[in-house]
Amino acid sequence: MRSGFVELEEKLRILSDAAKYDVACTSSGVDRAGKKGSIGNSMAAGICHSFASDGRCISLLKILLTNHCIYDCKYCLNRRSNDVKRAAFTPDEVCTLTIEFYRRNHIEGLFLSSGVFRSPTYTMEQIYEVVWKLRRVHRFRGYVHVKAIPGADDAVLDEVGLLADRMSVNLELPTADSLRTLAPHKNRDSILKPMSRIRNQIAASRQSMGQTARLERAWGVKGMSNGLFTEDEYQRRLEGEDGFRLEGGGGVFIPGGSGSGIAGGSPVSEPGIGMPEPEPWGAGSRGGTGVLRPPERGLDIRTFAPAGQSTQMIVGATPESDYHMMMVTQALYRQYDLKRVFFSAYIGLNEDAALPAPGSPPPLLREHRLYQADWLLRFYGFRAEELLSEERPNFNVLLDPKCEWAVRHLEYFPVEVMSADYEMLLRVPGIGAKSARRIYNARRFGSLDFPDLKRMGVVLKRAHYFITLGGKQMFPVRLEENRITAGLIDDNRKKNWELSHGECYRQLNLFDDMKLQEAPGAEDFQKAAAGQL
Amino acid sequence: MRIFLCEDSLEGIFTGIYDAWAQDPGHGHVRLSLKDQYEPELFAEYEEIEPDDGKSEKVARSIQRKISGEAFRVVCRAAFSARPERADAIYRFLIEGFRYGGRVLRLLQEPAVAEVFALSRKVANEAHQYLEFIRFEQLANGVLFASISPKSRVIMLVAPHFADRFPDENWVIYDDVREEAAIHGAGEDWITAKIPKDQADAFLEAYGSSDHYEDLWKTFFHSIGIRERENPNCQRNFLPVWYRKHMTEFL
Ligand code: SF4
Repeated sequence: MRSGFVELEEKLRILSDAAKYDVACTSSGVDRAGKKGSIGNSMAAGICHSFASDGRCISLLKILLTNHCIYDCKYCLNRRSNDVKRAAFTPDEVCTLTIEFYRRNHIEGLFLSSGVFRSPTYTMEQIYEVVWKLRRVHRFRGYVHVKAIPGADDAVLDEVGLLADRMSVNLELPTADSLRTLAPHKNRDSILKPMSRIRNQIAASRQSMGQTARLERAWGVKGMSNGLFTEDEYQRRLEGEDGFRLEGGGGVFIPGGSGSGIAGGSPVSEPGIGMPEPEPWGAGSRGGTGVLRPPERGLDIRTFAPAGQSTQMIVGATPESDYHMMMVTQALYRQYDLKRVFFSAYIGLNEDAALPAPGSPPPLLREHRLYQADWLLRFYGFRAEELLSEERPNFNVLLDPKCEWAVRHLEYFPVEVMSADYEMLLRVPGIGAKSARRIYNARRFGSLDFPDLKRMGVVLKRAHYFITLGGKQMFPVRLEENRITAGLIDDNRKKNWELSHGECYRQLNLFDDMKLQEAPGAEDFQKAAAGQL
Repeated sequence: MRIFLCEDSLEGIFTGIYDAWAQDPGHGHVRLSLKDQYEPELFAEYEEIEPDDGKSEKVARSIQRKISGEAFRVVCRAAFSARPERADAIYRFLIEGFRYGGRVLRLLQEPAVAEVFALSRKVANEAHQYLEFIRFEQLANGVLFASISPKSRVIMLVAPHFADRFPDENWVIYDDVREEAAIHGAGEDWITAKIPKDQADAFLEAYGSSDHYEDLWKTFFHSIGIRERENPNCQRNFLPVWYRKHMTEFL
């Protein structure tokens, strides 16, 4: 018994250490109640269970099934040519760890990735084995996120998607060129192919359940005139206006500049996210070992990967600009309807002429700016081309992207808080999604004053330059770019300093931004209160 | 000024509200305080209120019918706060609530509304943190046992979550500040019970064991952090040290 634990502990150490560079650890996107005879449930807002020494949230048991790999990606510690300790879990070991950690409230579920062992399809079949056992043998209703291994058979991918909550394929690098240089065994097409397969499966299964083809988004976002997530746009594409057919398997969403946007800039085409040649559905063999079980019906009606699909890009290993990163990010949201795009500041681990030297500090501030901008795309109705351009390809070190946009567009300000529309309120620095909604709701019942705004969560230190309330500014400041910039930089400085000195920054505000829908615990409480009274 | 002294419980506060409303409907000329949690004032008349199930149920029902279900949840969360002013804040909020109905929740510019919201949000946030940070240990008898030391009475808010999550487990969440436990038997509903500290300790003593999965969890916890991004301040910000008292990975 004891020696089994020692061996398991060693595997866990190796395979969690090897998995830690994957960023995504969120458990969000699915609401699933518990059930007698099963274990687990899932909350759409996600739950963090701890914070590691690097300040990152721990929500899932994040491990590799194995760190054996037949590939040799230059940036990866597990690449074939590295001499590192190798290990592999059995599917049962992964299940046991997941369930036992889950019972102790250590985790929300499992995030399983893997090196490529033998072949992509073989590896994917092992992952399938884990997820199948978790769901069907252990009756686990918690969260499961799995990596789709590029090159694996569609048949396995499809089965895994019926069991997992979220799937992801890492784009790794923003351009095909960089990928060719750093990951010689991968190519852009082999990564985009499973991504589009997953997108199509999600859309088809959502529609078969009477839902919209596109994923749910935060309150108000799908209706934004300028946003990326309007249903119309997608539907039009699905119906083949740009030559895209759902049944076609592949297909290209032609990047376009519909909606020139609030900034009025000319539309910029999104850079090369081309799709591989379409391939008829069901092509390819059923995989090498025939591990797939016949489908079981009537167990739980659920959609394919209900928490959607995500991906990750490495920041700073290759020369692409922030502009390039954001345009790719935007294309991923529009064309692949991804739930999230994650960024990972490159950490130099391997000696290689094509890479920054080992020991060079990871570009954390840059990563942070990209996340802030990603937030603006997903929740605030911005488009990438409003934030950056070929001429101005990188984010400001001193100002966050929203402030930067505002000081460049003083023509939209000041905004009258009592009457501005919701989308414009969202664009004011210092007004977040939640406070914009509170203002929107409260102002119908009477006039507001500045202390009210403060109570509603508005950061007046930033916002006051840009707003009037009943026609009056809070302080008499003239709308001048330099002056405002100086004031904002002063306010930003502390944070930037903290960032570059390893102080704390939240990877975005969990309480104000991630739980846009509901106050935490409200649903549960209803039950408690009902039982209580 | 008339001051009604209520017992510190949901029923106590609701009964106080019922009596206060009966005497002074909608005017706010009386105040509510909690027994043992108030500063005596000169020229005030005190009246002790005994909790009454019938009255408190009526109040609960009126809030849900005349204001809204959400208002009821906000009020209950505020009542689970540990702040001494909560009874009066709820009373004042309800005066507005019965005046405006469901839309009162949007009137954040009303001080009475803002105050109850603030109380409620604090409690909800704390409860949410306990969904994250509660750690169960598995005792020798298979029971999952968690100790917590919360500021608010969060077990009322977290127990339903775990009842849903672990329907077939025996588990206990023990609030060692209030000496109160949420107890769940496999396949049953959860209940709350007052359990003195020495009794809880004796239980842990009797069934305590070494749990290998705790060691495995510590292994995972330490290897998942990225050395190149080490950031103890950030970690502390998200996970304040006082929560760590009962957390496996920090023991
Ligand atoms: S495929 Fe590339 S990135 Fe993935 S484990 Fe193998 S070497 Fe590393």
